[in-house]
Amino acid sequence: MRKLKIGMLSFAHSHAFDYLDSLLRMRNVEVAGIADEAPERTKELAARHSIPYYADYRDLLADASVEAVVICSENVRHAELTIASAKAGKHVLCEKPLGLGAEEMESMIAACKEAGVELMTAFPCRYLTPVVRAKEALERGEIGEILSFKATNRGSFPDVPWFSDKSLSGGGAVLDHTVHVMDLMNWFTGSNPASVYAYAATLFDPEGKRTIDDAGMVHVTFENGVSAVLDPSWSRNPGFPTWGDVTMDIIGTKGVISIDAFNQKNSVYSRKSGKGDWAFWGDDMNALMLEAFVTAILEGKPVPVTGEDGLRSARVALRAYDSVEAGSPVKV
Amino acid sequence: MIKVAVVGCGGMGNIHADRYASMPEASLVGVCDVNEAAAKALGDAMGVLWFTSMAEMLKEVGAEAVSLAVPTYLHVPLLKEAADLGVHVICEKPIALSSAEAAEAIRYCEERGVRLFVGHVVRFFPNYEQLAGKVREFGGERGGVYHAKRAGSHPALVQPWFKDAAKSGGVVFDLMIHDIDYALGTFGEATEVFAFNKVTDDIDYATATFRFKNGTIAQIEAFWGYPGPFYTSFEYAAAGGIVRGASSDSESLSVRVAAPPGSAAGFVETPQSVLLQDPYYRELAHFLSCIESGGEPIVTAKDALLAVRWAEAALESARTGQPVKLGEGGAR
Repeated sequence: MRKLKIGMLSFAHSHAFDYLDSLLRMRNVEVAGIADEAPERTKELAARHSIPYYADYRDLLADASVEAVVICSENVRHAELTIASAKAGKHVLCEKPLGLGAEEMESMIAACKEAGVELMTAFPCRYLTPVVRAKEALERGEIGEILSFKATNRGSFPDVPWFSDKSLSGGGAVLDHTVHVMDLMNWFTGSNPASVYAYAATLFDPEGKRTIDDAGMVHVTFENGVSAVLDPSWSRNPGFPTWGDVTMDIIGTKGVISIDAFNQKNSVYSRKSGKGDWAFWGDDMNALMLEAFVTAILEGKPVPVTGEDGLRSARVALRAYDSVEAGSPVKV
Repeated sequence: MIKVAVVGCGGMGNIHADRYASMPEASLVGVCDVNEAAAKALGDAMGVLWFTSMAEMLKEVGAEAVSLAVPTYLHVPLLKEAADLGVHVICEKPIALSSAEAAEAIRYCEERGVRLFVGHVVRFFPNYEQLAGKVREFGGERGGVYHAKRAGSHPALVQPWFKDAAKSGGVVFDLMIHDIDYALGTFGEATEVFAFNKVTDDIDYATATFRFKNGTIAQIEAFWGYPGPFYTSFEYAAAGGIVRGASSDSESLSVRVAAPPGSAAGFVETPQSVLLQDPYYRELAHFLSCIESGGEPIVTAKDALLAVRWAEAALESARTGQPVKLGEGGAR
């Protein structure tokens, strides 16, 4: 079996640790290098798995045997790393949001096209089994035409500090948690978001010191008239039994599909933690997403979730902030 | 002991009559409906006189208060007629189909010295009463993110007048008004609303996000034509904590009966959330105690007027695609 040699660029986003776990379990993958600017985060981890460690990502990109990279840097560095990787001839799987501006994302897409490499946006929610089954039910026409969505992607305030630094993250909860579900809505409707109107606020810091938005409500109207409401808030506190959720009601002319993607759980009450926890036992979306990426590259096929997909949903999140400023809906 | 009569012998009228009949502080003295069969059936069941004319009933039985459980477009004409006869009015929600009519109804009753109460029953649900306490406890000064949902089959399947927006006001005026009233009673002054409304032959679905002066974002959905059992749910998340509940999660008693042989279903199931005094009982008893004491009710007629204003604003937003400022109309 041919193995795809993958390099990992930055572990600033903690999803990198989950992705590494999944990649290490895949028989058709060799993790050929970890490049991370913070050695305290990853140097030992790399050594433990006998993976070459690089303090400078350019050294990893210089390894011609590496065919693809997974980028989990701060959001603000996605463009730099993606473009450098493309120029080095590596296929790219980039953490969401793809970029922090439409032009920036377009240049990432163009760089990959020019270099003839694939660019995939990391939208693992596409690989949630209930989401896949919902898409199939929609395609069978089971609920008629879509009229409206109501969705939540509520989460916990990220424990990595750069998320609350706008110069590194580009935005708070409205950016971080709008893109996942926007992508699902784009996928489900097959239409494009036409306008967005959002609220953004900072409501969930018990100490009242936070400045980045951790609360919001995003309203979208699609070109085909479908409307959508999405709560992207980082509203879960440590007392809540799990980190967050992905829920969606799809209201159709002939029925309703309700997704509660992480509801496959056992309730766990441990003396040690002192609180109730929900332990998820459903399919592993990260592993399924990585398999899809690796399979596409190995088979020389286009990746299933593209840079354009990443741009399409990130643009809605970025325009959402503009609508907050404007106090009125803005065109996407 | 207050002598009470009930006008309208449909679903709600049956509930009012039944609760009054079981209330030590009330004496049910008559029921009335233009549909003679409905009036007779309820009158006979309750062992009270029945009528087909409200004026005739009020004069004959000496009622001190009357419940109006009639289609919405009849609320104002009937409450004026009762006020002219000096009878206190307990009117089902919504008070009227426009804020102008609602204000006129309040003025009319005040001038004639009769009390006017509006049956916004959600304030009397113990789970929502508890929620309001948690909102105060968790929200602090900054507010939080609130979700509320109310969904069920289309009431026009049973009572065709619901489908005529000129008579019922549609799902916003008839169903969402519950959560609008609850929000205005719980979160205080709202500044604006942004809403969508999707109406087909089978469906009336509305979703409205209210922004409050204290920062709270309240996202409210109301759904007629939902293909499933009636249900309600809420979640409030703020810096201090999260509180959530759903009707489907709070059933305390389920009666399951084997279906008769030959029927398609294997069993008949009736899940219930049982209380010694249900919310309707608590609401009606509260209104009667206010009549006796002259005290202010938990939910005032002015609140009911405000709820109508907010409902009008939500529909305006849905119609124009723009957020609608509530201005003076946002304050209690």
